[in-house]
Amino acid sequence: MKQAQKRTAPRLPGGRPPGRKAGPPARYDGGFGHRAGGLAPYAFVTPAVVLYALVLLIPIGYTVYLSLEKSQVSGLGLGAGARRQVFAGLANYASAITDAPFLSSLLRVVVYSVILVPVMLGLALLFALLLDARRVGLRRFGRLAIFLPYAVPTVIATLLWGFLYLPAVSPFPSILSTFGLSMPNLFTTHVALLSVANIGVWGGTGFNMIVMYTALRAVPSELYEAARIDGASQRQIALRIKIPMIAPALVLTGVFSLIATLQVFNEPQTLSPLTNTISPDWMPLMRVYDLAFNDNNSYEAAALAVIIAAVMFVGSYFLLRVSTKRVFQGR
Amino acid sequence: MKLTPTRRRSTRQHGRAVVIAGAALAALVAVGCSSSGSSSSAPSAGASSASGQKVTLSFWTWVPNMNKVVAIWNKAHPDIQVQVQTQASGDPELTKLLTAAKAGNPPDLAQVEYQALPTLVSNNYLANIAQYAGSLKSDFPAGNWNQVTLGTSDVYAIPQDAAPMALFYRPDLFKKYGLTVPATWAQFAADAAKLHAEAPGVYLGTFSAVDPGEFAGLTQQAGAQWWSASGTSWTVGIDDAASQKVASYWQGLIASGGMNNQPQWTAAWDKGMNDGTYIAWVSDVWAPSDFPTTAPAGAGKWQMAELPQWTAGGNVVGNWGGSSTAVMAASKHQQAAAQFAAWLNTDPTATAALVSDGGIYPADSAAEAALSAPPSYFANQPNFWNLAKQYATAAANVTWGPDVNVAYNEFQTVFGSAASSKGSFLGPLTAVQSAVVSDMKKSGFTVSAG
Amino acid sequence: MALTRVDGALTQAPATAPQGSKRRGRDQRTALVPTVILLLGALYCLLPVAWVLIASTKDNVQLFNTSTFEPNGSLWSNIRDLSSYGGGVFWHWMLNTALYAGGGALLSVAVSALTGYALAKFEFRGRSTLFNLLLAGVLVPPVVLALPQYLLLAKFGLTNTYWSVLLPSVLSPYGIYLARIYAMSAVPDEVIESARVDGCPEGTLFARIAVPMMTPGLVTVFLFQFVAVWNNFLLPFIMLSDENKFPLTVGLYTLLNRGASAPALYSLVVTGSLLSIVPLVILFLALQRYWRTDIASGAVKQ
Repeated sequence: MKQAQKRTAPRLPGGRPPGRKAGPPARYDGGFGHRAGGLAPYAFVTPAVVLYALVLLIPIGYTVYLSLEKSQVSGLGLGAGARRQVFAGLANYASAITDAPFLSSLLRVVVYSVILVPVMLGLALLFALLLDARRVGLRRFGRLAIFLPYAVPTVIATLLWGFLYLPAVSPFPSILSTFGLSMPNLFTTHVALLSVANIGVWGGTGFNMIVMYTALRAVPSELYEAARIDGASQRQIALRIKIPMIAPALVLTGVFSLIATLQVFNEPQTLSPLTNTISPDWMPLMRVYDLAFNDNNSYEAAALAVIIAAVMFVGSYFLLRVSTKRVFQGR
Repeated sequence: MKLTPTRRRSTRQHGRAVVIAGAALAALVAVGCSSSGSSSSAPSAGASSASGQKVTLSFWTWVPNMNKVVAIWNKAHPDIQVQVQTQASGDPELTKLLTAAKAGNPPDLAQVEYQALPTLVSNNYLANIAQYAGSLKSDFPAGNWNQVTLGTSDVYAIPQDAAPMALFYRPDLFKKYGLTVPATWAQFAADAAKLHAEAPGVYLGTFSAVDPGEFAGLTQQAGAQWWSASGTSWTVGIDDAASQKVASYWQGLIASGGMNNQPQWTAAWDKGMNDGTYIAWVSDVWAPSDFPTTAPAGAGKWQMAELPQWTAGGNVVGNWGGSSTAVMAASKHQQAAAQFAAWLNTDPTATAALVSDGGIYPADSAAEAALSAPPSYFANQPNFWNLAKQYATAAANVTWGPDVNVAYNEFQTVFGSAASSKGSFLGPLTAVQSAVVSDMKKSGFTVSAG
Repeated sequence: MALTRVDGALTQAPATAPQGSKRRGRDQRTALVPTVILLLGALYCLLPVAWVLIASTKDNVQLFNTSTFEPNGSLWSNIRDLSSYGGGVFWHWMLNTALYAGGGALLSVAVSALTGYALAKFEFRGRSTLFNLLLAGVLVPPVVLALPQYLLLAKFGLTNTYWSVLLPSVLSPYGIYLARIYAMSAVPDEVIESARVDGCPEGTLFARIAVPMMTPGLVTVFLFQFVAVWNNFLLPFIMLSDENKFPLTVGLYTLLNRGASAPALYSLVVTGSLLSIVPLVILFLALQRYWRTDIASGAVKQ
């Protein structure tokens, strides 16, 4: 986007005003020509770089190192000096990939995501469209109320829903009994996934709704007016115009929701004590925690963490690259 | 591992008891391992309060009202103050302890169940307090003492309590449903079936997959030996015949409908214990420490009886838990900590407080002899402690391996889903066996399957 | 952003509506079905909050024995019990949470603003590499990072300290991403350039000129990171062993699982949950006009 330039010196041929250092030509900022900036940019980004190394690169590096080690005992293994750390090669990776609990947790988290993400985004889209529609009442109240769960930390939300799932304190048994129904067991092998997913839907719909709603508000309303004049109903407008117009927002929320859902940990970990069905290694990240702290096996846990991080990284990188191309056109 | 509040107490090897391959271990330790007194990873015993400075010790424990007992010490020892922290109990506490010890910042003192001692010792997390507490050997029965020394001349903890299992039941409700107090497991199963027929929503208890210690105790009663050591090799027999018998039995109980399949130590379970949904509890002599908070409405309504036997007239029970007080190797005040641990578990005032406030059954011989009046919750059973002593005499002996936490963790996972789906327990049992064997082999132990 | 519709307006007769008053009348009525759907959604979202509000007014006996939506009067005594539990450890948890989430988010805003601004407004060698690396950082789940961070700090005996939880909370690749987008759109290049021409040093330029322009976006970054730190339960859970350093989430979780799962503790957990929700809700309500998720949705006018 070209900007008006206020200058005191005339332009020389070649486009560079006198007195400015030769620098790489500016790109999308319209030939304005940022200075190389000297040391300033480097100083500005130093904190982030240092932190990045400290909290991301070095821990991951150390974890990779640990994943190649294991613990070795001699004799009966009791008494001092009986245990040492030795090189293990790729043995931990081999165990991690063939680890049965991990593989079932992997399947489970995929099913969980397939349930959660469409439901959550579908509801978010529905509510966003409702907020954006004409003649809908209680808009302000609805927007605040639906966004409220985002302000509740997931652990607390799980505690609350845990109480609601507990027949002893929950209101549902009495409500259901007025219809002659009894409260179903929410933690059978198959229903447990839905019970946990419900908490995720409850917590995440509001935020995604706001993102989509904001995107909807940015759509020029002339488009709707034209359609309305042609006699299109609200629903048709929603389906044919609004949804396609906010497609980038939908994609972005979809990708981020998927990434977040695959790392689910807080909800099942907090619910686990309440029921036999949710085992300590029910989801992939729970398995990592389980290996490291319950089995006291940091080495295998490290290998598993590296595998998960690598897979998430590669997968999400491609997804995000596609969606951010839209934002940073012409890079 | 589920972070449920589970409470387990120690085992007391009374009459029967003893020896965890004591001679073999002692020989082995002399030959193979370096002397534990000079472990390179354990810091030297820090300066104690002998220098007169005030020392604050952190103590992780889950015994109820421990801060009242500790207050007695704190009043008398202004230079050594003890601070109690309770974040979890049982297996979850062990997990936290292992985590903190691995990171180099464990508490000074910790309550450690007997089955967890080999794990902690093999990781060099416990201080050897033989120089401060070795003289206490005569205060405890040999079986208990061996649990904290692992058969060596080192002392890794001070025994706190003993935990033979027992059956608790509601005589009034048993009468109401026409059940006989079971002396054998066959009778118990018959009671369960009858109860289910009479009152389908009422149970004789629940099979709790978050309590592997309870299951382990039940298999001990049947004669199982999950770990045994000879020479430098371990034998793992988690799915031996005795354990399989117990597993099948409990699977049948759940299938019959008279036994529930929900975890213990939850709000739902508390409610059930309180309102008569559960009319019996296969538990342990430390139950008086839990009943007041779990089922306050039932004070005076429960009775203790001997655990049902496999053969009529038999007299053996298993152990569920049982704890000791250990000093961590990373503590900078090992002498002061050892002093406190010794006081806590042998001083008459302290043990009396532990019994009355904490509801535990003490391991210390003198303290045991001093027990007379029953716990207030069991005021209806004046001979409560005499019965407990009998059960302690009947407790089976047990050897714990170096990765009990792996076994217990696997148990929670596989038995959890089996209990939920009311499926077979034999498959899960084998799964626990394989998990333990492979874990030990991976770490370089010499293992043979029993 | 050009908006031609006013939020909350229920009627807006199209200027060229050919129909007569009947159509106009229908436009003025609130559509029932959509409103009901929205209301149901709102009720679903409010249900647990309403539950905890009412449940906090009950003591432990009433919690299990009275009808759910029947309030009692024990709120104040519950709060008192909660405050005295463990020698006042609950308020430690509150303060710790303020430190980790509030302090962490503040520091994060500073770092994100600096970095986002630099990435948006400077050309320098390594810029695109840095940006790609940062983007990659978004893709490594913070929860997956908790274990490596723990293992590293454990090696040096630095776990169980405030910094062990605070430091990882400061870096927010997503915050930098947001700050960059915002810097690009909210800080005009000509303002910067004229300031430079006037001899303004970069640091002052940033602090005095750019930051005030970026403020709404930075508030978004703050809120976002605040929530992210709140929700990173695993990190403090494994890093901290001293309960005086716990944040609220870990503290309440431990309380729930502690010892005898005694009914008395349940009412403390319920009350504690209520008290931990309230500040965050207030924070959000107070800052809602700054909540600019438009930049998050990528629908930024270029």
